[in-house]
Amino acid sequence: MDATQTKEMYTEEFLINMGPQHPSTHGVLSLELKLDGETIRNCTPHIGYLHRSMEKIAENRTFTQFIPFTDRLDYVASMNNNLGYVMAVEKLLNLEISERAKYIRVIIAELNRIASHLIATGTFAQDLGAFATPLFYCFREREKIVEIFDQICGNRLTYNYMRIGGVLADLSGEIIEKIKEFIEYMRPKVDDYDELITYNVIFLARSKHIGVLSKEMAINYSVTGPNLRGSGVKWDLRKDEPYLVYDKLEFDIPVGENGDAWDRYKVRIEEMRQSLRIIEQAIESLPQGEVTVRVGRILKPSASETYFRTENPRGELGFYIVGDGSVYPYRLKIRSPSFSNLAVLPELVKGIKVADIVCVLGSFDVLMGEIDR
Amino acid sequence: MIKYSKNFVIGIWSLIKGLAVTIKYCFRPAVTLQYPTQKRPMSDCYRGLVGLHPEKCIVCYQCVKMCPTACLAITHKLEDKKKTLETFKYNMELCCFCGLCEQVCPADAIVMTKIYEISVYDRKKLDINLLDDKKYDEWTHTTIK
Ligand code: SF4
Ligand code: SF4
Repeated sequence: MDATQTKEMYTEEFLINMGPQHPSTHGVLSLELKLDGETIRNCTPHIGYLHRSMEKIAENRTFTQFIPFTDRLDYVASMNNNLGYVMAVEKLLNLEISERAKYIRVIIAELNRIASHLIATGTFAQDLGAFATPLFYCFREREKIVEIFDQICGNRLTYNYMRIGGVLADLSGEIIEKIKEFIEYMRPKVDDYDELITYNVIFLARSKHIGVLSKEMAINYSVTGPNLRGSGVKWDLRKDEPYLVYDKLEFDIPVGENGDAWDRYKVRIEEMRQSLRIIEQAIESLPQGEVTVRVGRILKPSASETYFRTENPRGELGFYIVGDGSVYPYRLKIRSPSFSNLAVLPELVKGIKVADIVCVLGSFDVLMGEIDR
Repeated sequence: MIKYSKNFVIGIWSLIKGLAVTIKYCFRPAVTLQYPTQKRPMSDCYRGLVGLHPEKCIVCYQCVKMCPTACLAITHKLEDKKKTLETFKYNMELCCFCGLCEQVCPADAIVMTKIYEISVYDRKKLDINLLDDKKYDEWTHTTIK
């Protein structure tokens, strides 16, 4: 080299792969990050590591046989997935279920919402450095819910509890007592989380003003659930398009102000309180009666199509079913909330530091099971 | 400097507040179980491995038709116009423990047992002959009654 030639200093962007085996991507999500030093310039999520062809499988299963598969979509909130699916099928069949079954479904779905938000809270706190303690507190509370579910349906994770025309089993007096006990037990625990996590200055410093999702962007990307409400949009299907008996129950829709990671987290904490309120009222007014209406063993809906959406803990879960008059659906499309929620991630992380991507991703509470399906 | 010390004090204060919660639980009985030695009793309707009462089975094939993962396989023979079981195979590898077979059985012949610790080293062991009485001998000790 010519000694007189001055060597130019230059920097270049470099690429790192975060995931698919990474503890804070909440499953097998791979993020391709383009970094300029510590700053993220671009982010491309790669999905598909957990793909199981659920929609294709549905075409070869009868309507009842597909219920256990919906458990595996969003495995943290299996009951809500069961619910969304069976209600879509009931709409296709024009089936009206009994009043008691409706209340039971509400109670169970809200319990599962709490369980799901507990996991979201715990893992989010863990991602931000509150190692293990909050996570295990959340799991301790979740254990109570899981135990209740274990007693009513016999499994601890993939419940397969909702049935077309009702539910698998009635709630016995003993279980109702247990749920009441749980409500009493859970109320002070949510306050504990406020003390331990929500207003902790380190937590605030790490999550305030990070990953701000504006109202317009949230709507444009069809973000739903607590993430949308964190941005200040008051949209909840339980209120705006009530199904089951949600219109008879009183509850508030918590919304955030700035749309940052902390707001999304806070909405989840508040939703737990609201869910407890819903369960309490539903138990108060639980009517007597049958829990299942008799449907034939072979379900043959007429050739028609239907779409039904419910409010999952993660957002709007929709099932689009086309029947062709046979025992199998001709086509089943699942609109999963996490998929749309993840789509907005690259927009939010541009320009922030690489350590904060964990915070943004954690606050979105995406679950790969339902993104890949 | 003032800002730094202010932040420091606030940080310590919120740490103490958090610790107050943890200390509160320090003096309460532990909720964890020491797993291999302590086990939680299973609920009445717990769904573990599939079991069979062969004498009750009327060979109606409902369970085979209902199973979403096709892990049950039956063959039968006709003995003076009465169907009797010849083989009843259960491929545990595919089973998703959904309980639909138990629910649909008209004779309560097929049941869900409470066996749940079911890892094996040999893949062949996952193919279970439900007509064999000793099929679950290896695993029964995992069940709490
Ligand atoms: S539990 Fe479900 S998957 Fe297992 S054998 Fe019974 S029907 Fe099949
Ligand atoms: S459903 Fe019950 S009775 Fe019928 S074949 Fe299966 S185990 Fe036998």
